[in-house]
Parts: sequence; C-alpha cells; structure tokens
Amino acid sequence: MISDITLGQFFPGFSPLHKMDPRMKIIAAVIYIAAIFTANTPAAFALMIITTFFMITLGRISFKVILKAVKPIIFILIFTAIINVFLTKGEGEPLLAFWVIKIYKEGIIRAVFMALRVVILIIGTSVLLTYTTSPIALTDGIESLLSPLKKIKVPVHTFAMMMSIALRFIPTLIEETEKIMNAQKSRGADFSSGGLRKRAKALVPILVPLFVSSFKRAEELATAMECRCYRGDKNRTKLKALSFKARDFFAFLIFSAVLTLVILSRNTDALIGIKHRVLDIVFYKL
Amino acid sequence: MNSIIKVENVSHVYSQGTPFQLTALDGVSVEFEKGKITGLIGHTGSGKSTLVNMLNGLIKPTEGRILLDGKDIWEKPKEIASIRYRVGLVMQYPEYQLFDETVREDIGFAPRNLGLSKEETEERVLEAARFAGVGDDLLDKSPFELSGGQKRRCAIAGILAMRPEVLVLDEPAAGLDPRGRREILGGLCEYVNKNDASIILVSHSMEDMALYCDNVVVMNRAKVYRTGTVDEIFSDADSLVDIGLNVPAVARIASELRKRGVDLRGTLYTVDGVREAVKDYIRRYGK
Repeated sequence: MISDITLGQFFPGFSPLHKMDPRMKIIAAVIYIAAIFTANTPAAFALMIITTFFMITLGRISFKVILKAVKPIIFILIFTAIINVFLTKGEGEPLLAFWVIKIYKEGIIRAVFMALRVVILIIGTSVLLTYTTSPIALTDGIESLLSPLKKIKVPVHTFAMMMSIALRFIPTLIEETEKIMNAQKSRGADFSSGGLRKRAKALVPILVPLFVSSFKRAEELATAMECRCYRGDKNRTKLKALSFKARDFFAFLIFSAVLTLVILSRNTDALIGIKHRVLDIVFYKL
Repeated sequence: MNSIIKVENVSHVYSQGTPFQLTALDGVSVEFEKGKITGLIGHTGSGKSTLVNMLNGLIKPTEGRILLDGKDIWEKPKEIASIRYRVGLVMQYPEYQLFDETVREDIGFAPRNLGLSKEETEERVLEAARFAGVGDDLLDKSPFELSGGQKRRCAIAGILAMRPEVLVLDEPAAGLDPRGRREILGGLCEYVNKNDASIILVSHSMEDMALYCDNVVVMNRAKVYRTGTVDEIFSDADSLVDIGLNVPAVARIASELRKRGVDLRGTLYTVDGVREAVKDYIRRYGK
C-alpha cells in the first residue's frame, strides 16, 4: 500500500557505492548533474548513459527497481517531449508540415535530449544518493559539507538534526497512518468512495489521531534527548566519523574526467559563439 | 467442532520481490470455535498480528481462504466492509484511533457508518459503553481528557457498538494495571455470553489466557505450532517453554513441584486450581 513507494528508498548493501563516503557522493552527484546539463552532443550523452549504467552495476541495484523509479515521471516526460517536438523552430525545411503543425529536425533532437537528460538525472541521483546511501549518512554528509557555514553562525548542526529526525520518522508516520486507517476501517470508515467533500471529511478520523500522536511523540523524543544531555553539537563526537578513502578520490577522478570529457565534446560552434559573445561584451564595455 | 471462522491453508508474504521480503504466514490452517474464547499466543513476529488483520479483511491473504460461517470473506471483494462489521477488530493500543469531539460521538462512529438511526446509535453507544466499562459521566467528555485506561475502554466500546459476531482483540489489556485488566476482560466475557458471540484474544499474558480462554492456538515462526483446549496446552508446559514462551507462573511452580515428586492432580495452571491441588495433596498425604 503506502509503504510501496520506491522513489527515495534506501536499499541496504555492501557494494563499493554503498561504502563510498557520503560527502564524496554528494560532490559526485553535483558533478554528475553539471555534466548532464552541459552535455549537448550525442557522444556526450552516450558517455553519460555509460556512466549511469556503470553506477547501477557498481551499486548492484536491480533494473526492476530502476524502472519503478522512472515510472512516476513518464507522464511529464512524454508531455515535455511532445511540447519540444511541436514548438521548437529550426532552420531549414520542416521534416513534417501539417496545417499549423511543423516538425523540425531540431525539435526532435531537442525532445530526445531533454527526455534523456531527465531520465538519467533521476536514475543517477537516486542510485548515488538514495538507493545506496542511508538517510542518516546523507544528512551526516550534508552537515559536514556545510560546516564551513558555522563560521558565520548558521546553525548547520540543528538543521542536520532536524532533517535526520524528519527522515527517521517518515516510515514511522507511514506505519502509524496505516495503523490508524486500519483501525478506522475496522469501524466501517470508507476512504475511497463518495464526492470530494465526503472524502475530505473521511480524512478527519485519520488526521486527528495522527496529529495527536505526532505531537506526543515529538515531546517524548525531546524529553528523551534532554535526558541524555543533548545540547546541540557542543562536544559531540560521532560513532561513524566520516573519512575519505582511496575509493573516494578515485570516484572523484572518474566523475571529474566525465565532466571534462563532456565539456570538451560540447558543440564547438557554440563554444566559439560564447567566446565571441564574451569578447564582444568585453570590448563594448571598453 | 462448530467453528465460526475457518482459516484454510493461508499464506502471506510482505513486500514480495524486494530485499525486505518477509513471510508472515506460511500455510496456516486453524479453526475458531463458535461461542468460545480462543487465545492466540506466540512471539513477536510469529505472524499473530498478520493473521488477526486477515480475519476481518484488512489484509488479503496471498494464498488460501478465510471462511466466516462457511463463506469465503473475499468472495465479493467489494463487500468486504460488511465483513468488518461482523468481525470486530480491536487493534493493539486502540486508544490511538479516538478522534471525535466527545466520547459518545466517538463510540457512535461505527453505528453511524453502518447507517443506523439516531435512536439506535444512541442505544448501541450506551450498551457498548456498559460492556466496556465506560461510565455515563464520561460520555460527554472529550476522549483526549481521559486517562489511559479510560481511553482504552472507550476505544473497545467503539468496536462493541457494531455488535460484532466475532470479536478479535490484539492485546486489549497491554499496559494496564491488574484491576484494569480484570475489568476489561470481564466485560468482554459478559458481552460474549449475552450475545452468543465468539472472541479471539491475542495476548502475551499467560495468566489472562489461563483465566479467560477456552481454547488456545500457539503460533511459532509463521506457522501454527499447537492447538487445543487450555487444559491441553498448559498441562504440557514444556513444549511452550521449548519455543521460548512463558507459561503462567503458577503452572511453572506446579510443574517444578511435580518434577520433585510432589504428586499434584487437577488444573495446574490457575492460582485457584493449584491451590486446590495442593490442598488435595495435603489431604491425601497428611502431615
């Protein structure tokens, strides 16, 4: 039922990808995303697809799971692809002209690239960040990466703690919701029929107990934390201190290499164009 | 045996095909006798809760059938709601299901869902409140003002208000003091006798089992381990200890005494029974 949601679910394991430092995974994900949006030639896209497949096999994630992750965005994907195909105007003769609709070669290329971009973006980031990284490791990584902000008094630790608590309680809340729904169903509550008004009203018997127990749980947790002398990150040590290993530097090298290759493979015309434009602006200012 | 619910070869697997796959029930067949109180015991994770949630159709078994009064409850999946009125399920910690403004309205939630008239709803609320031991003075309070034990009773009344033929209770007395336990379980027995209903009672408390149940079903590792009357199950204490379950404390004492050559006879799993057996022993052997 509700617990069948796959997008954003961690699959425990011991693959090289699981063992990677979460900080490096976040950095790698940023590089990966940059590479995806820089890519604009078939060669670059081929390279990105190969990288993505490489990550999937390295993380030992089954393709069934990957398909499930892509399923929810298929509608958006098709929609944007169609818009791109019909609305992109290209130079030269249209491939197909019918009444007001004209399809150009550029439109098709753009639609394909766009769709590819979204698909590998979703797959790559979920493999790297959600399927192979536990939410706790992820927040640890974020906290560590953002720690320079502590210098300017940003409460990084508090944010990270809030985030990990929120993540920690998502499954609990789902379980609780299911339990309460079952309890109310046992009393003949009906959540799936009737008009909008009736359905909204049917949610009251779920939401009230859910709120009551969430507040109670929050208070209990706060008390329990205080009982164990929690006072933010002052003098706090970690059970699993993060440390970069050889594999993390290796991963960094690979992702950097991919990004460099993608930049180099960029449509040189465009590069030259940008260069000219920059020069023009500079000279114009002078 | 005149059975009210018959479970036939039922299996259930959670999250099939994922790394979290879990077999909760594995080919379970069991019958629950009409008009009797049947206890269901087993470890956490032995499949009790899954089985219990299946009895009123909250979970559909991946394999097998569940017969209520001889009819498959999933015969017409669209009418599963009507099964839920006939098999009343009180879940663990049912006080978490309270939501309405007053106790009266909360207990009346199920009768209102049944589409009963105002008068009939009121009648059922009063009747259920009496069985569950919810005092009249509490009916107009908010359920969130009540104490833990009162909330529990109020939630149980919410199920009794459907007048179910079968009442399934998952640890109805967990976390209550001995007096609260007695009152709740005693009220449920009264409901069974008055309405010729049947009860399936899940509990970790062997004392409660010995006191209130007629039959016992023992579950272990997703399977039915043993079934029988209370006498049969508790007189063979060792087989329960084998799978790591407790037996009532007095039963353990009686069993130790017998091992040391004290020839006790009679019901050896309730305090009263053992007291009589010891008296009888003293009478037979004198000083």
